[in-house]
Amino acid sequence: MTESQKTAASQDAKMEVEKDRNRAALRKTFYGRIIRSIVVGFWVMVIAFSLMRLSPGDPVRLALGADVTEEAVEAFRTQLGLDKPFYVQFWDYFSGIFRGDLGYSYFSGRDVTEILGTHLPVTLGIIGLSILFAALISLPLALWVATSKSNTVNYLFRALTSISLAIPGFFLALLGLLVFGVYFNIAPAAGYEGAFPGNLKYLWLPALANCGSLVPVLSRVLHSSLVDTLDEEFVETGIIRGVRKSRFYWSYLLRPSLAPTVVLLSYMVGVMIGGTVIMETIFSLPGIGRELITAVDGRDYPVVQSIAMIFGLIVVFFSFIGDLTGYLLDRRVTLS
Amino acid sequence: MSTGMESKTKKKFIKEGTFGIYTGFFMLGSLVLAGAIIPRISKYGPDELASMPLAPPSRANFFGTDVLGRDVFVRVFDAVFIDLGTAIIGVAIPLVVGTIIGTLLGISQNKRVNSVVGSLIDGINAFPFLVFVIALIAFIGPGVGSIVLAISLVNWARYARIARTRAVVVNKQGYVEAARTLGFSKKRILFKHIIPNVSSETRAYALSDFIIVIIAIAALSFLGLGIKPPQAEWGGMIRDGKDLLTVGFWWPTVFPGIALCWAGIAVAFISEGLTRRMREVGTR
Repeated sequence: MTESQKTAASQDAKMEVEKDRNRAALRKTFYGRIIRSIVVGFWVMVIAFSLMRLSPGDPVRLALGADVTEEAVEAFRTQLGLDKPFYVQFWDYFSGIFRGDLGYSYFSGRDVTEILGTHLPVTLGIIGLSILFAALISLPLALWVATSKSNTVNYLFRALTSISLAIPGFFLALLGLLVFGVYFNIAPAAGYEGAFPGNLKYLWLPALANCGSLVPVLSRVLHSSLVDTLDEEFVETGIIRGVRKSRFYWSYLLRPSLAPTVVLLSYMVGVMIGGTVIMETIFSLPGIGRELITAVDGRDYPVVQSIAMIFGLIVVFFSFIGDLTGYLLDRRVTLS
Repeated sequence: MSTGMESKTKKKFIKEGTFGIYTGFFMLGSLVLAGAIIPRISKYGPDELASMPLAPPSRANFFGTDVLGRDVFVRVFDAVFIDLGTAIIGVAIPLVVGTIIGTLLGISQNKRVNSVVGSLIDGINAFPFLVFVIALIAFIGPGVGSIVLAISLVNWARYARIARTRAVVVNKQGYVEAARTLGFSKKRILFKHIIPNVSSETRAYALSDFIIVIIAIAALSFLGLGIKPPQAEWGGMIRDGKDLLTVGFWWPTVFPGIALCWAGIAVAFISEGLTRRMREVGTR
């Protein structure tokens, strides 16, 4: 064995150790994230459960209205299990979640699980479409501004994203309805169709209105990490080597810059849910957000409580996924 | 030559962000001024019948009238103080509460309290802001007081998270160590040394949070869960007008919407300008 072979072998061994260490670190952060998500998810359930118990009035009396007999109130209370001690109630509620039992509506008597099953897909559809639109707008926009040398472009980008963030989604949606629904007559103001390609006709405008707050945030973060990436030496190397354009944009620019945007996108899911609740009310879409507003109007507490909890758990889930994807895209990201 | 260099850097320093700050303050100031003057000098009260219902904008009614014949112009400016005021209180309470709790958590040595309260904060932050506020209002009822209470109950956790991260850093800084070595009381170190340095971060966040909160307040009224009519309020006015929008009566909706955007954009410009300026100071 020559000297050079020996060093090569020892270097290989070193690399193996390094890889093992990386894998161990990855596994550790992965498990750490899972445990943290479970703890936060547990708090989400506790908070949602406490909502009804923190209410200053008696929720049962409020739900039934003023003119009911004392017996009716008591019977309803027993039926809901609200007469039992606090910890028993919590256990019933908590174990119910894992059995898929989220209680039932005070009024329609429907299972909350059933309500979620029928209406959640619409809400997730709007959110998914919003993310798709936002990505399609933000990626080229951020690339164009980051690679542009013009000060005016940069200045306009900053000013317009600031303005866009300050415009409320519901006002934007109404303006969109005025322009696309009334003036151009290409978007329906209300109605829905369950099947996949048909429903896009009803979902595209709400999703586009959601982009008003999503695009500025995403494109700004992407823009700033692109600017950082452009300073890196490997970008220059890519230019000098004359790498193919598509490969240059993806491998040299976007991929190293994407991690913060992906992490942020997962955090934005919460904001998007809030926006979608409003969009569903404006466009009369049968999503979970409209169910929430109906339930709040009718003081249908179990429904309000469960919808809030589900939305909280969705956010916890997506921030977990987002952190992990961000980590896999760019190992330099540290999970906090 | 050295004076030339100095004036150059000085000039650049003034330029960066200043335009945004001035524009923002001008926009906000003009809105507040209009809100203070117009309802007082106007011929009509905000709840008074001014003309035919849904009269288009004219010389008598600049922004037209709404479905009840009330003057939209007066109502838009009558709403300035209730909208801005609720938003300011809705930002100030969480800012103070969150900063204090977050700071105490950041400097506390008790690991158990730290991890329990820390994960509670994460749990509150996990809920979508608007959804949580809506759910709370379902239980405590609508109205200005409930809005402020609900927003405070949700929002303090966001400030606490920022303050906690910052407090951990500040707590290790040399000047805090120095104050400890000098034997200052814990209270004095906390209020004179740590909190001012932590709150610079949370106050910066408060400015961008103001936009979120003012939009949320209008959104709540828009959904019928917020400030009760007949009080003129932008979100509520947009709600009243939204069904008429598609049949040609755009003015009862568009003008309050513009006012709301105007307020948001003003604060966004101030916030953006200040961020630019801070970055400028930081890089010098």
